[in-house]
Amino acid sequence: MSDAATAHNNDSHHNLMVDNKKLLMWLFLGSDCMFFGTMISTHLIYRKLYPESFDPTSLFSLELTSFSTFILLMSSFLMALAVSAMHKCDMKSFRRNIIGVIFFGLIFLGCQVYEFTEFAHEGLTLKSGTFGSTFFMLTGTHGVHVAIGVFWLICMYFYSHTGKMDPHESAVDVEVAGLYWHFVDIVWIIIFTAIYLIEFI
Amino acid sequence: MSEAHSAPHADHSSENEKYHAFINLALVLAAITGIELVLVYLPFNEFLIFSVLIALSLFKFVSVIAWFMHLIYDRLLLTLAFGTGLAIATGTVIALMFIMDRGFVDFEAITAF
Repeated sequence: MSDAATAHNNDSHHNLMVDNKKLLMWLFLGSDCMFFGTMISTHLIYRKLYPESFDPTSLFSLELTSFSTFILLMSSFLMALAVSAMHKCDMKSFRRNIIGVIFFGLIFLGCQVYEFTEFAHEGLTLKSGTFGSTFFMLTGTHGVHVAIGVFWLICMYFYSHTGKMDPHESAVDVEVAGLYWHFVDIVWIIIFTAIYLIEFI
Repeated sequence: MSEAHSAPHADHSSENEKYHAFINLALVLAAITGIELVLVYLPFNEFLIFSVLIALSLFKFVSVIAWFMHLIYDRLLLTLAFGTGLAIATGTVIALMFIMDRGFVDFEAITAF
């Protein structure tokens, strides 16, 4: 075996021929699937067992939620572009796209806050029965995930301005952040369908 | 050479191809979201609408994972790493939905407290 190949195989970042950071993030996302899966199933089960407990169609605004979904999808698109820009060592494009992701993420969080506030005014809170508790636990947990993602990207954006961010070294880090953000998006895709749209059928 | 070092040396043309794929996918996802919004208001059979919504959501779910998350471009190990958790989560959801059916739940025992 050549010295280069030996050095590659002995690289502490690639024990299993993939970057350890990427592998760990994918494993974490797999576990997060189980986390959200249980919460989604809890909500659906209680809706199934107690369908007469609450009628959310009078409260849900499908237009607002669809707009939120669209915003999150577009943020996912910009995140993919940011990762691609980092792979091409284009820092300007990377910063531009990351700002877009942060902006869209904040819009999504703003829509969630507005929606929760409206629900609270109408009497639907975390303590108002099974629907309220399961709904707010699920969407609130997702919102916290989005907030963590926004904070992560804000830190990454400011770090890119310090001059210490080497595109060659940081491409995987950006990719890992992108994986987290895309996961948050796909969870919302499921929540939008299973929690919101299904109620209107 | 680590992937972090080799990433900047990736072929820019392949990144440009991915860029076009991302654009197309973003447009498709936006269109599907619009279709889902309209679909719930259509006077069709409930089961049909439900099935179409699930199918569209699954398509969005898989396509974001495959292209935006780069899983189709990466090694199979990463698919297995994520797929295991996803399979367990899906199985758990399906099992719970069947187990917690009204016919199986003893409401008197639950409400006795």
